[in-house]
Amino acid sequence: MKRVTLFIFLLAFYTFSQSKDPNIILNNVKEKFNRINDYEVNVRIKVDVDFLKAPESEAKIYFKQPDKIHFESENFALLPKEGINFSPMALLKDNYTALYDKEDTVNGVKTSVVKVIPLNDKSNIILTTLWVDQARNYIMKVESTTKINGTFTIEFNYDKPVDDYPLPSSTIFTFSIDRTNIPRGMYGNMDEEKENDKKVSRKRTTGRVYVYYSNYKVNEGIPDSIFEKKND
Amino acid sequence: MTKIIRIELYKIFKKWRTYIGFLAIAVLVPVIQIAMLIEGEKSLNFMTRNLQQSFIFVGNLLNGYLITYLILGSLYIHIPFLIALVAGDLLAGEATSGTYRILITRPISRFNLVTSKFIAGLLYTYSLIFWLALISLGLGILIFGTGELIVLKSSQIIIFAKSDVFWRFLFAFAFASLSMSVVTALAFLFSSLVENAIGPIVSTMAVIIVFIVISAIEINIFQTIKPYLFTTYMSSWRLFFDDSINYPEIVKSCLILAGHVILFFGAAAIIFKRKDILS
Repeated sequence: MKRVTLFIFLLAFYTFSQSKDPNIILNNVKEKFNRINDYEVNVRIKVDVDFLKAPESEAKIYFKQPDKIHFESENFALLPKEGINFSPMALLKDNYTALYDKEDTVNGVKTSVVKVIPLNDKSNIILTTLWVDQARNYIMKVESTTKINGTFTIEFNYDKPVDDYPLPSSTIFTFSIDRTNIPRGMYGNMDEEKENDKKVSRKRTTGRVYVYYSNYKVNEGIPDSIFEKKND
Repeated sequence: MTKIIRIELYKIFKKWRTYIGFLAIAVLVPVIQIAMLIEGEKSLNFMTRNLQQSFIFVGNLLNGYLITYLILGSLYIHIPFLIALVAGDLLAGEATSGTYRILITRPISRFNLVTSKFIAGLLYTYSLIFWLALISLGLGILIFGTGELIVLKSSQIIIFAKSDVFWRFLFAFAFASLSMSVVTALAFLFSSLVENAIGPIVSTMAVIIVFIVISAIEINIFQTIKPYLFTTYMSSWRLFFDDSINYPEIVKSCLILAGHVILFFGAAAIIFKRKDILS
């Protein structure tokens, strides 16, 4: 009983001692993003994973509120699954508890750090930490811990502002990934690779994907039919 | 000499067994392509499942280049049989049909004769590889189109840009031609030893299968002798599909394979030159 009382006391103390209201911070971010109804943008993607060699690729992304997203590319493109839809709606769509943590600096910008705990048991995300630039209501950095894929981080850069819309000019997506265990049958003999294979560690490795955005077209109207197409 | 080669080619292409190889490729490759058309996407998704946990794939990875890469992978196990079928018959076939004696009564040296036969055998081999390239690449691109090539190695995944693939296939097929020349030379050598074509065909395949099995078993003694088996170097066409191409290793493989061709042909020429032809 003493422990419970102490926990309630500490929680109450922590809650009341918060200098900033995390829900207001997040609502401001959502409100800012809600000024965008739709956008299309060209992206250039650079993948940096030690066991994956892929050329730089280009694609086009279409987004429409609340969470419609479509990708098109003339060539093959690898897009980071979690980072490409940076809409705060994607992160904050379900019920959650938000806690204000502290102030921090990201790329020289003063930010408020807010922790978001999803209340939905089915959510793959266990905890998300958001670094919010309160002066502009921009998300500067996101760190999420997932049930399956470990922790990933997305850093946003707003070098080339698009009419004060919270649209980044580049993002860096950092994640951990298992070295792939490739079935050999389909690819025939791999004898010559066995020796190299022995030297390679089987541990998880950290990967980075750099996404550069250009030619934003915001609120110009995108027909729904675009989002019905298969990503190609 | 050109005339003799032309005559030898005429003899090769007059036999129905010559077309078994072409026919087998014309059937096998489309069968693989149809299977990939039906099941390919599922297999590709399975192979890249870990990557797909972190990435969204946009575009066409199941394309003619990938299918050709898979087909090339099966080359050095199955195609040698089709080559041995013809190369093993080049000299022994003359003995079987009783035309050896009449053949060497022609006003040409035995060396020129054996060389012409060998060159004709090589031309058959190259035409078979060319046919394989044409069917696998041509038909593959026609059915699946082109695109980036994903190469899955046990420790690395490489995605080659669309514009960076075709030249790799040209070199890979050229290398495959050299690899298969060793098979031709080996079957030709066996053909010079006997008077029945079945022996050289079976012996060639036996040697290749034994060497491949020895290479595949990871026992120290086998791994020690592996570098001395020519089959080890036959799959070096894969080196053209590395992120940074190991040219010294490719040159080494080419020299070893070319050395085997010269060795086998040289031995066959000596045997044929000294052969006491009684029939």
